[in-house]
Order: sequence, then C-alpha cells, then structure tokens
Amino acid sequence: MILSLEAVTGGYGEVDILNGIDLALEAGSILTVAGTNGAGKSTLAKAVVGLLPRVGGRIRLDGRDIVGLPAEERARAGIGYVPQVANVFPSLTIEENLAVVEGVADRRGRIGALLAMFPALAERRRFRAQSLSGGERQQLAFARALMTAPRVMVLDEPTAALAPSRVAESFERIATLARTGIAVLLIEQRARQALAISHRGAILDGGKVALAGPAADLLADETAARLFLGAG
Amino acid sequence: MTDLLELAIAGLMSGLVIGLAALAVTLVFGIARFANAATGDTMTLGAYATLGGTAATGSLIAGGAIGILAGAAAGVIAYATVFRKLERRSPVAALLASIGVGFVIRAGLGLVYGHGQQVFQLPLVRPWRVWGIRIQPTDLEIAAAALATLAAVFLILHATPIGRQMRAVADDPDLARVSGIAPRRVMIALWALAGGVAAVAGCLLGIKTVVAPEMGWDMLLPAFAAAILGGIGHPVGAVVAGVLLGIAQETATPWVGFTYKIALSFAVLLLVLLVRPRGLFGRIEGVR
Ligand SMILES: Nc1ncnc2c1ncn2[C@@H]1O[C@H](COP(=O)(O)OP(=O)(O)O)[C@@H](O)[C@H]1O
Ligand SMILES: [Mg+2]
Repeated sequence: MILSLEAVTGGYGEVDILNGIDLALEAGSILTVAGTNGAGKSTLAKAVVGLLPRVGGRIRLDGRDIVGLPAEERARAGIGYVPQVANVFPSLTIEENLAVVEGVADRRGRIGALLAMFPALAERRRFRAQSLSGGERQQLAFARALMTAPRVMVLDEPTAALAPSRVAESFERIATLARTGIAVLLIEQRARQALAISHRGAILDGGKVALAGPAADLLADETAARLFLGAG
Repeated sequence: MTDLLELAIAGLMSGLVIGLAALAVTLVFGIARFANAATGDTMTLGAYATLGGTAATGSLIAGGAIGILAGAAAGVIAYATVFRKLERRSPVAALLASIGVGFVIRAGLGLVYGHGQQVFQLPLVRPWRVWGIRIQPTDLEIAAAALATLAAVFLILHATPIGRQMRAVADDPDLARVSGIAPRRVMIALWALAGGVAAVAGCLLGIKTVVAPEMGWDMLLPAFAAAILGGIGHPVGAVVAGVLLGIAQETATPWVGFTYKIALSFAVLLLVLLVRPRGLFGRIEGVR
C-alpha cells in the first residue's frame, strides 16, 4: 500500500469532522471517495495533504507515518493535491504557477514536459492564470500538482467546475495518471462515472466510511446506488 | 503657475517617500495579512542607522546600506519574536502588536538619540533653474534612489524564485504549502524586504527634512492611506497612490494651510474606504 489511513480523526476546531476513517490505496490504482455534501470528503483530502489543523490516527505514505509532517514536506515527499476550489495562483502566469513549485529535481525539463502534455496551457504560458477558463484552470492545477512527480494524487472533485462536455476527457486523464503508476485518491460527486474508472470505492457519511469495496461491487450494490450514487 | 509646479515637484518628492512606505505596508499586508503599524518607526530606525552609518564611514552610500540592513534586521527580528507567534490569530491581534513594536522602536531611539532633531550634513548645492522652475539637485538624487529601490523590489518580486514564492503565498498560502513552499523562508524574506524598503523611505525623508524619533510615526497615516488607495496588497498601486497623495498634499497647501495637509490623507483614507474599498487597482478577491 502506498497510502493508508488508520482510524483518522480530526477537524478544524474542537469538533471532529472525521470520525475514524480507514482507507488504503495501492500504487497505480484509483480509489473513489463519494458522499453527500458535507460528508467530510474535502476534509479528508486536507487531512491527507497536511492542511487540516487537527488530525489524529495514522496516515502512512510508503509505510512511514506522515501525520506530523507539514504540508510542504508532504508535497515534497510525493503527495500531489488538486483542491476543489482555488487550485491555481491567479496572479501568477501559467509558467510561474509551475515554476513556483519547490522540491522539483529538473524544473526546466519538468515544465517543458508538462506544457507539452497540455498544449492549451503552453499557448498561454505568459498569461496570468486568472485569465484561464474553468477547464484550463483544471489543467493547470493538474500540471502544478504533477510538477513534483508525485506518487499519490489527491483530486478533490476535479470535474465539478467543468463544462459537461469536458467531463469524460477529465476522467480519461485521471485513468491515464493511474496507468503511469500514480495512486489516485479521487473525490467525486459524479460517483458512477468515477467508479467506472476506479479500482475501489468508499462512501463517506458523517465523517465515517459507510461503505467500501471494489468499484464494481459498489456500482452493483443496490443500497449504495439508492443512498449515495443517485440516478447519474 | 511656476509656484504650483514647484509645489508639484515637492509633492512628487514626498509622494515617493509615502509611496515607498506604502509599498512596505502593502507587501506585509498582502503576504502576512495585517496592517503593520510599526512600518513608520522602522523608517525612523532606518534614518538613524543611515545617519550613524554615514558618520562612521564618511560615505552616505555606505550609510544608506547600513540603514537598509538595520531596517531589514528590525523586520526579521519583529517577525521572529512577535508576529510569527500571532500567525494563527486574528489580524487585529497582529495590528495591536505592531503598534507595540513601533512604540518600542520609537522609545528606544528616543532613549539613545534624545528627542532633538538631527540633520544629514550634506554639502549645500545651488538649485538649478529650468524654465524658471527651481530644481534641487538633491531632489533628483532622492528620486533616483527611490526609483532604484522600486526597481529592485519589483525585480525581486518578479524575477527571483523567492519573489515568485512571495506572490504565490500572497495569492493562496495553503496552495503554496501544498506546492512545497515552506512558509517560514518566505516570511523571513518578506520581513527583510519590507523592513529594508521602510528604511529607505525613512532615510530619504530624513535627507529631505530632519531626523527625529517621531518622523516615521507621523508618516503612518499617509502610508496607510496610500496603501488603501492603491488597493491593499497591490505594490504598483501603493507607489502610484503614494505619489498622487504626495502631490495632492503639497499642491493643496496654499489653500488648506500647512497644518491641515495631513488631514488630506485622512480624508482620502475615509473616502476610499467608504466609496471604493478595493482602491484604484485592487481586485476585490485580493482582500480575504
Ligand atoms: N474551513 C472549515 N472550517 C470549519 N468547518 C469546516 C471547514 N470546511 C468544512 N467544514 C465543515 O466540515 C464538514 C465537512 O465539510 P467538507 O469536508 O467540505 O464536506 P464535503 O467535501 O464532503 O462536501 C462540514 O460540516 C463543513 O461545514
Ligand atoms: Mg468538498
């Protein structure tokens, strides 16, 4: 297991938002985390990347407990993160958004490779990120998170800000990430589509894992379908 | 007409000083997210250190460098001892603490140097006359120093890795951290930069007028007004607004009188806060 969570609790203040979460993620696999609004999905993502003020339990990256590690060191240790909102530096140019990332071995080469991967960004490399469309911002956020060549990517509702016509493309890109060996923790409202490209799935409710298992089983599970996956 | 032009030139000079002070305010506000009321007293410290450094080395340039170092050191020390510990608290706590830090600097300088005024002993130069307008060669040197400082700050912000990191933290501190940027390094660089800029402002003000323990504190209101007018957290805006405010203050003097020109800053401050809180250049989302 590249990433594992054991009895993870935590929150922003006195109140626990996460109430004992166990999850595991294998290299090159995708784990979808679904759940209603306010279930604690984004809070879980913050706990993993190191932005949650208070965390209990264990979070292991390659077996090493990283709960005490600050966010910037987790990033350098190989955890990439695309937040749900505010996922680019708006006043920095496209190129600066990538160049600003620390803990990158060959920065120039990496920027070149990522811009080649996202031609729309390459074209506008000298423009400020605030001038980008929602879809382009998403691409930049992906590229920024990929700068450190992470082994784990935490994606918080990557398709939420996209035009419907762009959603399939985005899921395709995520599947490609996993094929290159990156472990993906995919938080998604579009649970059916997400599960379709995932190996495993978990459904969060009230800061707890309500249901978990192989993605195919969850898709077939009537209770899961009725309670959490909706019609889509 | 000539009189008005000469007033405008005087305004430009004080405007550059206000602009530099506002730049120091706005840098700290944009990145550390509070209004630093110790900025004025850091200016004063810079002026005294330059005075002392000039006396010790016999060179104003070397003295200025010592002044800048002193301002930068004061900024870093204030961060390490006070502001770092208030990072997770409200901006009001930091603002109140900064009033205290400013008081300590001011009182310390008063204790060491006394409350009298000191002046830079510069050779007297006859003013030039260009189309009947008097121009002081010293003013040109002051303007050149101010512009060089601005150029240096913008170079640091836009052409160095640490400057890029500062702008990233200003945009989004959490996103900066998950991008591997260590906040501590950025903060130390910020406080050194802001302290150095404030010291230059104080030094130029001291050369233009006199050096006294209250000189910087008296500049705080215009500096805040310019920072807000320029769109808080917006470096270019702060400088432009500082110059505008300086020119407005001086050219208004014949009408409002010398004692009331400072009131203009206050009027501008109130007006901007009431009518256009984001200032001339600020983005509304820039203020979080
Ligand atoms: N920054 C915050 N400070 C305090 N409470 C928060 C914060 N962000 C989210 N919460 C609370 O945490 C709970 C879970 O939120 P979140 O993790 O964002 O849910 P989800 O992503 O599943 O919609 C909610 O009750 C929300 O109000
Ligand atoms: Mg969320």
